[in-house]
Amino acid sequence: MIELISVPSLLTIQDSGRKGYRKLGVPTSGYMDDYSARIANYLVGNSGDAPLLEFLLMGPTIRFNASAVFAIAGDVEVRLNGVPVEPWTSHWAKRGDILEVGALRSGLYGYIAFAGGIKCKPLLGSCSTYAKAGLGRPLKAGDVLNLGYAILTGREGKRLPEELRPDYSAQEITVGVILGPDLEHFTEEGVSTFLSEAYTVTPESDRMGYRLDGKTIEHSEKGAGIVTSPLVPGSVQVPPNGKPIVMMRDAQTTGGYSKIGVVISAHRHRLAQLRPGFRVRFREVSVEEARKELLRKEKTLEAIRLLLEGKMRAYRMKIGEEEEIVFVG
Amino acid sequence: MNFKPLGDSALLISFGEVIDEEVNDRVHALTKAIAGAGFEWLVEVVPAYSSLAVIYDPKLIDFEGVKRAVEGLDVRAERVGGRLVEIPVLYGGEYGPDLEFVAQYNGLTPEEVIEIHSKPIYRVYFLGFLPGFAYLGGMDERVATPRLEKPRLKVPAGSVGIAGKQTGIYPLESPGGWRIIGRTPLRLFNPPREPPTLLRPGDRVKFVPIDKEEFDELYRAEWGNEND
Repeated sequence: MIELISVPSLLTIQDSGRKGYRKLGVPTSGYMDDYSARIANYLVGNSGDAPLLEFLLMGPTIRFNASAVFAIAGDVEVRLNGVPVEPWTSHWAKRGDILEVGALRSGLYGYIAFAGGIKCKPLLGSCSTYAKAGLGRPLKAGDVLNLGYAILTGREGKRLPEELRPDYSAQEITVGVILGPDLEHFTEEGVSTFLSEAYTVTPESDRMGYRLDGKTIEHSEKGAGIVTSPLVPGSVQVPPNGKPIVMMRDAQTTGGYSKIGVVISAHRHRLAQLRPGFRVRFREVSVEEARKELLRKEKTLEAIRLLLEGKMRAYRMKIGEEEEIVFVG
Repeated sequence: MNFKPLGDSALLISFGEVIDEEVNDRVHALTKAIAGAGFEWLVEVVPAYSSLAVIYDPKLIDFEGVKRAVEGLDVRAERVGGRLVEIPVLYGGEYGPDLEFVAQYNGLTPEEVIEIHSKPIYRVYFLGFLPGFAYLGGMDERVATPRLEKPRLKVPAGSVGIAGKQTGIYPLESPGGWRIIGRTPLRLFNPPREPPTLLRPGDRVKFVPIDKEEFDELYRAEWGNEND
């Protein structure tokens, strides 16, 4: 059992999301950065989709009422009973210990995973919070959370090597996008603007969508409105003002604005971690290329899981100009 | 039928950009066929007016594979048989603050608006926007009214409204710009219930005017255990 002593910003329980209810208008929700969240779970020996805590910018202070093993994913200062401990590493906490998670130095979302996961009653098959519809609520100081049962021995002291930790400090990133499906609602110039300009994340961004500012994207004579059609996370809607909105994990399931493209699954965690004021560029990729990227990301995450279980080793190798991490089983 | 990628894990099938009952029948027939085919790579199917999204697991199949699988299905054109759901509505007063305006705007009495609004059998084209929100078709244009100039910050769950030529029910408390003419005591979205929504794609809806006494009774039955 853990108790939340202070909750300075948005703190929610998330897992890999809700499946099968989109036809009833229920968003998938789930962790914004699947890469960090899954690694946090692997560090404590959980499966990747176990429920964990997601915090925005600033972490909470937590008291342990029983022994537990925890890990933090994020570029953040962590203290256990006032003593700094490393993030991206699993630690043992005993009854009465106080965990303080500070402010992220880079990135937007951080994760706190516990061995056994956070115990919760799944609503519509998931523990992911979607407060708007009464599916969970943001956590507040005083809340008590139960942890799932887990054998703790042997789960602490797992550490993700520094070179494998994601770096979310860049002020400008490029993400892959599959164009369409509403391309006929844009002029050729509009599409080329979208693919050549940098767009700035505005403060009016949240788990539902990131509103971007930048050069206006021109619609064709068909206009910005479409006959309402399905939406998925990653969809880039362009309303009449020509400023794109990228839908994120709490995206509504259908929408009436034309979609110029969809950010590929393999890159969405990088976009999720982009702070307001930072910029994103969109690079066109094919569906086949997007799938290859996703399979590569999955392979890396699986290798990281095996590495943390001690079943694999990682080496840094120079391949041509690029330095790469090579996993050896 | 037109196939396009909707990102790398969804296929969008479109029958053109139209709002039409027959086209929507085809959308639902295909939705049913895909959902029932037992594809192991299928995550879910999301229907809309004239298009549907087939959400798949790209770890198990690629875009071309999904396209081939869908093209290979034998889809019988059929009228989608939804249920007829009666929705009791208390029109006007504090629960329908815009009823007078809708009447005035259309040169009708409030009683005429109620009669016109509760007469048709509406069709649930699909659910979207909010959990349990039904896109209804079939409103009589004699009660069509533009949206509020300034949206309300809080519209209570169950509010029945008109926006242009559309009518609908707010399943949850939310901000909104529709003209609210009444409220239903029924819960349109109730997470522990399975399925969690009162309405489902393809259903038919009939609004039934009720009085305050009936409203209160039904409201207690639906929401009474809210805080247990």
